[in-house]
Amino acid sequence: MKKLIVKVIGGEKLQMVRISLVAILISLIVGAVILLAIGKNPFAAYGNLLQGSGLLPKGSYAGRQNMFTDFMSFLDALTPMIFASLSVAVAMKAGLFNIGVSGMMLAAGFTAAITVGYSDLAAVAAKPLAIVIGMAAGALAGALIGWLKYKFNINEVVSSIMINYILMYVFTFFINTYFVNSVSRQSNPVSDAARLTITNVQAFDLKFNIPLAFPLAIISAIIIWFLMNRTTMGFEIKAVGQSRQAARYAGIGISKSMILSMTISGALAGLAGITYFCGYYGSIQPGVVPSMGFNAIAVALLGNCDPIGCIFSSFLITIISKGSVYMSSQQGVENEIADLVMSVILIFAACAEFMRMYAGRLETELKDKKEVQASRQIR
Amino acid sequence: MSNSGYIIEMKHITKRFPGLIANNDVSLGIKKGEIFALLGENGAGKSTLMSVLFGMYEPDEGEIFIRGEKVRITSPRHATQLGIGMVHQHFRLVSDYTVAENIILGSEPKKKLLGLIPMVDIKKANADIAALSEKYGLKVDPTSVISDLNVSTQQRVEILKMLYRDAEILIFDEPTAVLTPQEIEYLLDIIRGLRDGGKTVIIITHKLEEIKSVADRCAILNRGKLIDILDVAGTSTTEMARLMVGHEVSFSSGKAEAVPGETVLKVEGLTVKGEMGNDAVKDVSFEIRSGEIFALAGVSGNGQNELADAIAGLRDCAAGRITLNGTDITNMPIRKRIETGVAYIPEDRHNVGLVLNFSLSDNLALKRYYDATFSKHHIMKREVFNENGNRLIKEYDIRSSKGNATSTRAMSGGNQQKAIIAREIDLRTPLIIFMQPTRGLDIGAISNIHKQIIEERDRGAAVLLISLELDEIMDCADTIGVIFDGRINRIAKASELTVNEVGRFMMGVGDKGESA
Ligand SMILES: Nc1ncnc2c1ncn2[C@@H]1O[C@H](COP(=O)(O)OP(=O)(O)OP(=O)(O)O)[C@@H](O)[C@H]1O
Ligand SMILES: [Mg+2]
Repeated sequence: MKKLIVKVIGGEKLQMVRISLVAILISLIVGAVILLAIGKNPFAAYGNLLQGSGLLPKGSYAGRQNMFTDFMSFLDALTPMIFASLSVAVAMKAGLFNIGVSGMMLAAGFTAAITVGYSDLAAVAAKPLAIVIGMAAGALAGALIGWLKYKFNINEVVSSIMINYILMYVFTFFINTYFVNSVSRQSNPVSDAARLTITNVQAFDLKFNIPLAFPLAIISAIIIWFLMNRTTMGFEIKAVGQSRQAARYAGIGISKSMILSMTISGALAGLAGITYFCGYYGSIQPGVVPSMGFNAIAVALLGNCDPIGCIFSSFLITIISKGSVYMSSQQGVENEIADLVMSVILIFAACAEFMRMYAGRLETELKDKKEVQASRQIR
Repeated sequence: MSNSGYIIEMKHITKRFPGLIANNDVSLGIKKGEIFALLGENGAGKSTLMSVLFGMYEPDEGEIFIRGEKVRITSPRHATQLGIGMVHQHFRLVSDYTVAENIILGSEPKKKLLGLIPMVDIKKANADIAALSEKYGLKVDPTSVISDLNVSTQQRVEILKMLYRDAEILIFDEPTAVLTPQEIEYLLDIIRGLRDGGKTVIIITHKLEEIKSVADRCAILNRGKLIDILDVAGTSTTEMARLMVGHEVSFSSGKAEAVPGETVLKVEGLTVKGEMGNDAVKDVSFEIRSGEIFALAGVSGNGQNELADAIAGLRDCAAGRITLNGTDITNMPIRKRIETGVAYIPEDRHNVGLVLNFSLSDNLALKRYYDATFSKHHIMKREVFNENGNRLIKEYDIRSSKGNATSTRAMSGGNQQKAIIAREIDLRTPLIIFMQPTRGLDIGAISNIHKQIIEERDRGAAVLLISLELDEIMDCADTIGVIFDGRINRIAKASELTVNEVGRFMMGVGDKGESA
C-alpha cells in the first residue's frame, strides 16, 4: 500500500498533477462508498454524471434533444467556472487570497444587466458591451480590494468577504425594489440581445444553447498563462507573491503589482459573473452569493493555480455539478450526494501540499524498511 | 557491530541531488568528546552531510553508526531521540514566540490542569532553561521574544534548544558567520566548555583560525568527496587551505594604490530611524569618490544596516541628504535609484537578496528583467535570461545542481551569496554597496570576491564596503570609516590606521577630540 502511494504521488516529475489526480480518485471512491451505503450503484451514478454533462449518451431524450444538447449546456456552465478559477489563481500568484470572487461576479452581472440587459440595444452592440461592462465592474471591485490593502493595509480576505456581503445586500435591495420578476422571484431576465448564451437554437433537427463566451474562456486562460510566464508584469506579480521584501529590493512596485493582480483577478471574476448571470442563467437570484465563487478557490488549487490546470479542474468539477441533477433524478438520490463528492474533491485538492509531504515521508520510511529487511537477511 | 570507539561513524555516505552528487562516498568517524571540524568550499557538501546525520535527508548509499549501533536516521525528530542536535546555517526560530516557547517547541513539559487537562508547564520550562543557561554560560532571558533578540542571542537560543533535548552530539553549521569577533570568542569558549562537559561537537566553518583555535580534528571536503582528515594541531592553515581548494591560495589581495576621481556618493547629515523608531543612524556625513573603496568598520548593530538600506532606498531618511554624481537621490524611488547607479548586496540574502523560489536565471536577472536587453514590449526574452545566467554562473563560479533552472532555495548558502554578488556587480553601476559580502564564503571565494571588489574600484566605481571582519576591512579599504552607535566617529586613509586603532573606535573608545 505504502509502496503504491509513493509510486503514485512521490517523486518529482509532474508531482502536483499526479496529486490532483489522486485527490480526484480518492474522492470518487469516498463518494462510491456513500452511494453503496445508501444502496445505489456507484458506477451507474457516476455514469449519470457523465450523461448529464453530455459526455455519455443517455438512455432516452426528450424531443429534439440529444447528447449534443447536454454537452452545449455543460459548456455553458463550464465557462464561468473557468473564469472564476482563473480569477482566484491570478490573485494567488501575487500571494493574495481572493475570496471575493462571488461578490465580483454579482457586481458584474448586476451592472451589466441594468445597463445593457434591460436596454433595447441590438445584439451586435449589446453583447460586447455587456462583456466590457461586466469586466470593468469586476475589475473595479478587485482594484478596490487591492487598493484597500495597499492604502490601509486591510487584509484582502477580510475586505473581500465584506465586499461579498455589501454587494449582495445592495443588489438584492435594488433587484427586489426595481427589477424583480413577480413570477420567478428572480430579477427580470436580461434581453436576448444582451445574453451571452444563445438559447434554444434550432438546427439539424435539434434544440440547443450556444455559450458564446466559451472560446473566450479558453483564450483567457492562454492569455493569463502568457501574462504570468512570459511578461515582465507576470514576473513582478510572482516576485511580489513569493517575497515582498525581495521584490521591493529589486525595485518592483509592490502596491502596483498587488493592485494590478487584484484588478486582473477582478476582471476575470467579472467575466465569470457576466457569463453566469447574463449567460448561463439570464437572471440574478436576489439574496444569495453564487457558491461558484467559493468553489473556484478549491478548483484553482486543484489546478495548481496554473491557468491551463484551471481549465481541466473546472471541467471536472463542472461534470459533477452539472451532471448531479440527472444523477439524482435517475438514481433517486439527493442532489447533495453530488455536492458531497465535489466537496471531498475540493478538500483533497486543498490538501495537495500535505499529500506531497506525506509522500516524501513515506518514501524515506519505505527505504528504511528495505534496509532493515536486507540487514536481517544478511544475518 | 562496530567497535571502533567512535560515537558517530558514517560509512560510504553518498547523497545525490538531481544533476549532482553532494556527498560522494564519504566515510568518517568522530570520537566522543572531541571537536570535529568540517572544511570545504561553498557547495562542497558540508551542510548536506550534516543534514544526513540529522535525518533531514536520507543518504542514497552508505550507513551510519551511532554509539556503535547501525541506525537509519529518518527525521530530525529521530535524530533528536538519538541525542543529536543541530544549529542550522539559517536559524529556525519562531520569531514571535518567546525564548522558552521556542526551546520547548515539540517537547513541551506538561502538567495537568485540575489533574485532567494537559497544559504546557511554561513556569517549569522557564526555570529549566534558566538553569541550563546558567550551567553552560549561555546568557539569555527565557521570557524575551525572539524578534527582539540579536543574532548572537538567537544562536544561544538554538544551542539551548539542543541542550534542552539532552543532545550529546552537537552540530553547528557555520555558527560564526553571523557573529562579531567578540561574539565569536564567546561562542568558541562555550563550545570548548561543551566539549569539556563531555559533549561531542561538529562544527562547520570557513574560518581557518577558528578551526585552529577550537577543533581537535578536521575533515576536508571538496566537491562532495572527502579529501582528508587531519589532526589540527599538526597542520598549518595554509596546508588546510591548499587541501580544501585543491591548489595554492594567495591571501593577499595584491591591490594597487587607489586613484580616486570625482566624488560619486555624498552623504550629508544623514539620520535614519531604526526598527524600534530610535535613531539608528545619527547625523552621518561622508563621501566616496570614484575609484575608492570606503570600508565601514563597526560592531554589528551599530547602524550599518540602516545606513546601507537608506542609501539603497529601502529605508526612509529622517534627515539629511544623499547625492549620487551630483543628483539628489534622498527621496528617489528604489527602481530609479538602481537605474541612477546604486547596486546593493544586502545583508539578508534569504529574504531580501533573492526570491528563493525563483530559478537561478530569474534571480540573476532580478534587477534587469524589464530593460531593453531582457525584454521587448514587456515580453521577456527567455533566451537572454539563459545566456545571462550561463555567463554569470561561469564568471562567478556559481555552483548548483541544475544551472539556470535550479531553484535558488536548493543552492548552498555560499553559492546563493555568489549569485547575488554576481548580479549586483554585473549592473556596473557607479556605486556599489557591499554589505558583508563574504559572509559564509569559503576562502577561495573570498579572495575571488575581494579581487572583484578591487576590479570594480579600478573600473572607476565608488565602493562602500560594510563588514564586521576587520581583516576584510584592512585588506580592501582605501579609506576607513568606523561607525559606533549610529555615528561615524573616525574617517581616515587606510594607511593611517592600525588594526588596533580601528578596533578601539569600533568599541566607541576612540580619541574624542577627533570624532566627527
Ligand atoms: N535540496 C537540494 N536540492 C538540490 N540540490 C541541493 C539541495 N541542497 C543542496 N544542494 C546542492 O548540493 C551541493 C552541496 O550543498 P551544501 O549545502 O551541502 O554545500 P555546503 O558545503 O554547505 O556549502 P556552503 O559553504 O556554501 O554552505 C550544492 O551544489 C547545492 O547546490
Ligand atoms: Mg552550507
